[in-house]
Amino acid sequence: MFAELQFAGFWMAAATFVGIWSGHVGVRWLEAHSPNVLPPALILFAIGLALNIYSLFAPTFVLAGVTSIYGITVIWDGVEMFRQQRRVQHGHSPANPNNPRHAAYLKAGTATTTELLDRDPQGVPVSETDLEAYQKTPLKNKAEVNVS
Amino acid sequence: MTLVGIMLGLFTLVMIGFGFVWVIGVEYHFGYLWWPYPLVLGILFIILSLFVGNPGWSALLGIAGGVFVWGSTELRDQAVRAELGWFKFNSKPKPDPPGIRWIKRIKAPHL
Repeated sequence: MFAELQFAGFWMAAATFVGIWSGHVGVRWLEAHSPNVLPPALILFAIGLALNIYSLFAPTFVLAGVTSIYGITVIWDGVEMFRQQRRVQHGHSPANPNNPRHAAYLKAGTATTTELLDRDPQGVPVSETDLEAYQKTPLKNKAEVNVS
Repeated sequence: MTLVGIMLGLFTLVMIGFGFVWVIGVEYHFGYLWWPYPLVLGILFIILSLFVGNPGWSALLGIAGGVFVWGSTELRDQAVRAELGWFKFNSKPKPDPPGIRWIKRIKAPHL
C-alpha cells in the first residue's frame, strides 16, 4: 500500500517546516552568541548557496527539492541574522548580557533581557507602564536559560 | 542539470512570504484562537500530497502544507506582538472559532 503513495510532498513539507524551525531557533542562538553577526551570516549564505548548487545536480527529484528548499531557508537565515540584531537592539528580542555587542545595547538602554513574547495573549494592548514593569521583571524564562 | 529543485525552493520562499501576510491578517481580523484551522489545513495538504500521483503537484502541496503548519504556530506570537504595539492592534471584538471551548484548553503552539 505504501509503495503506491507519493512521498515527494511529505519530504518537501518536512524540509520546509524543519528549515523554518531550525532557522527560527538557530538564528536566535547564533546571534546571541556571536560577537559580530557578519561572519556567521556569510557562512549561512555560503551553506545555502552550496545546497542550491548541489540541487542543480541532485540525482533525484526529492533530493533536488529538499536541498534547494533547505538551502533557501538557510540563505534567508543569513538575512535574519541582521534583522535579529535589530530586534535585540530595539528590545523586541532578549539580549545576552554575556555577549559584548548585546551588553553595549543594554548599556545604551534600548535592549532588554526579557523574552517579551513568552506570555499568553491577553486581548488588550500592553500599556507603557506595564511594559516597563515587565521588562524589569527578574528573568525566569527560557530566553534567560538559552543565553546565559 | 535540473532547475526543478530551485523552482521548488523559490516557491517555498514565496509561500513563506505569503505566510507572513496571512498570519498578520488572520490574527488581526479573527484572532490567534483560530490557530487549529491552518494547522489542520496544512496537515490535510500534506496528507493529500501523498495521494497525488504527480511528484510536482505533490511537492507543491507538501510545501504549502508545511507553511500552513508553521503559520499556525505563529498566530499566538503575532497576537502578543500586536498587544506589545509592534503591529497594529485590532480592538474590535473577534469572532470565536468553532470549538473554542476545546481550543482554549490547549496551549497554542509556537516555535
